[in-house]
Amino acid sequence: MKIRARLPRLLAGGVTLGLTLSLSACGGGSGGGSSNDGKIHVLVYGDTNNKVEKQIVETFNKTSDVKAVLDTIPGADYQQKLQTIISTPQAPDVFFNWGGGSIKPFVKADLLMPLDDFIKDDPGLKSNFLPSVFNNATVDGKPYGIPMRGTQPVMLFHNKKVLDDAGVQPPRTWDELLDAVKKLKAKGVTPIALGAGDQWPTLMWFEYLYDRVAGPELFQKALGGDKSAWESPESKKALGMIKQLVDAGAFGSNFDSVKYTNGASPALVARGKAGFELMGSWYYSQQQDGDKDFAAKGLGYTAFPSVQGGKGDPTDIVGNTNNYYSVLKKTKHPEAVAKFLKLMYSDEFVKAQLGLGNLPTTTNTEKFLDGSTNPAYSHFQYDLVKKAPSFQLSWDQAYPPAAMTPIYQAVQQFFNGQTDAGGFIKAMQALPTE
Amino acid sequence: MTTQLTRNQPAAGSRGTARRGSDSSSAARVGRPGFGWALPATVFFALFAIVPLIMVAVLSFMSWDGLGSPEFVGMDNWSRILDDPVMIKSVWLTLLVTVLGVAIQTPLSILLGVWAAGQQRNRAVLSVIYFIPLLLSATAVSVLWRALLDPNFGIPAQATWLFGDGNLFGKQATAIGVLAFVSTWQFTPFHTLIYQGAARAIPHVLYQAAEIDGAGRYRQFFHITLPQLRNSVITSMILMIVGGLTTFETVLILTQGGPGTDTTISAYYMYQKAFKGFDFGAGAAIALVLVVAATVISLIVVRVSGYDKMRSSMEGLS
Repeated sequence: MKIRARLPRLLAGGVTLGLTLSLSACGGGSGGGSSNDGKIHVLVYGDTNNKVEKQIVETFNKTSDVKAVLDTIPGADYQQKLQTIISTPQAPDVFFNWGGGSIKPFVKADLLMPLDDFIKDDPGLKSNFLPSVFNNATVDGKPYGIPMRGTQPVMLFHNKKVLDDAGVQPPRTWDELLDAVKKLKAKGVTPIALGAGDQWPTLMWFEYLYDRVAGPELFQKALGGDKSAWESPESKKALGMIKQLVDAGAFGSNFDSVKYTNGASPALVARGKAGFELMGSWYYSQQQDGDKDFAAKGLGYTAFPSVQGGKGDPTDIVGNTNNYYSVLKKTKHPEAVAKFLKLMYSDEFVKAQLGLGNLPTTTNTEKFLDGSTNPAYSHFQYDLVKKAPSFQLSWDQAYPPAAMTPIYQAVQQFFNGQTDAGGFIKAMQALPTE
Repeated sequence: MTTQLTRNQPAAGSRGTARRGSDSSSAARVGRPGFGWALPATVFFALFAIVPLIMVAVLSFMSWDGLGSPEFVGMDNWSRILDDPVMIKSVWLTLLVTVLGVAIQTPLSILLGVWAAGQQRNRAVLSVIYFIPLLLSATAVSVLWRALLDPNFGIPAQATWLFGDGNLFGKQATAIGVLAFVSTWQFTPFHTLIYQGAARAIPHVLYQAAEIDGAGRYRQFFHITLPQLRNSVITSMILMIVGGLTTFETVLILTQGGPGTDTTISAYYMYQKAFKGFDFGAGAAIALVLVVAATVISLIVVRVSGYDKMRSSMEGLS
């Protein structure tokens, strides 16, 4: 029988599937070269942003004796492939990551170089970046990453016309949001679009409500291993408010069947079938791809509403803080790497990122904002990030990779009523924090 | 798709030998090629199936996150997955999906296959059209159906009398229904092809004799066609069972195991553990459970059906 042959296929299937999924990723996947060839290898997530990374590597190579080589791994495959090569001789010298939990296992395995010495030689490697962003690649008090792309805070987007028709102002407080939900529902539109089929869009609601109600400390405590944080009154209050919103019909009844990634939930907003959507800052370009006119004239955006009596600062934000370059401990060319990292706050880098529509998180970014593709939007975002006392990294990135699936399951089950607050709390307490 | 096609090969081969065996009557053991002929395939199989299988078995007793070297942890992974309610649920879900697949696809593909076996030109043209879903990758098929079943812009939005609010992926029963439907849509053509070939191989004399005896179409179908298709039914069922137990892409793209864990079947759970959570030990243990289950079930099917005795299905002809 041929059945036994299914198993390796199964295992291989997992890997190949990642490949087939990244339909759009066509970058030259030449991941991994030996670090002994007198060059530094820079490994990044393969997508359209590689244009800037290529340009920066070329700039670096003009003046450096030790040359840099850019290797890319097509998007969906990135984390898996990185994990398999990072402890081998094929490991890169410098690599792309999401900070937080995505590098924690590597730090624990003693593979990464703390950047303290680099920063001592050039304090600009720290001081030229917005602190709320820089700090998200800090593990056990030591910095391990330099921000290298754009920041992506989560904001509340809306369809201006839909809100006008229902006589609704963009909400500044939670009560105003509940009121808007009621009015939009009466008008027969879905108040808030939610691509719950993808699971992670649902998580954003938890990230914001926990922050507004309890402040950033609750999540930090829980992430640090103090699991009682999930049982606190604030935690229960935040869950109660989410439940209230869901039960009010804010998301309609079929959100589990709607996806963000296939364009279904943004289309709800663009076509006036829904009022709001909570999403990362990439939402603007997503809408632009679908309907340029709507993105320019019909799409509004605000910060997440404040919660009365909540402990969190109303200017706190959540989302993807940025991507980072981290350095392997065993690199043979630390000086060259340090020089390379300095380019991440250069004017050239900032201009190139803004040209792509990304928002870099250096302190000199402000000077160039007027030259971005959409200055008003860039200014709004930059101010949001600059003023935020806390910029919470998405929970699924802050926790180690093993926690990702259980988090998604818990938020989905809480939203669709399969589990209650007690079940959610238990699920979060069961997450691995190390 | 290629996997689907290659899966058929050993079965087709054995049918061939079975026929040859019966032609030269029972005890013919003449002129079989030596082991040398099987060597390339054996080496290939050992290298890419047996060796990895052993490695996975060893890995299921180790703790490994892909970094550093694996450590032996004894039965730890096993006791964890056997205590894991999600794992136990996933086994039941896997069986359910498999049984649904066999129960829906078998009658459908027998009927279609027998129908398509006719020599009329329109049947040939329609058969080609039926075959198209098989030419698409499972990934493409899943992406396609996810978009077609969108509650606001897809088919459910146009047929609210049938779909209600269209929340197909939000409830367990309908989510499983979608999975079964999409697999059926994709794989029925393949099994149809098996039955079409087998039905064409049934000698005409049988039907002519039956007609003379006064048997109508239905009697011919139940008393000639179906018994003659017996070996094909078993071949096709084994393929369906193995395919069902290892269903993966459809779950990954259509439901991601949701809502909650309601469609997290074992193969997908293994992927989540191993490649999302980097818990390769637990992943290996789940994979091994799947291998054992698939082997045992196939053996049972083979035993119960008498397929292992390799008798010819050409009863009454030799």
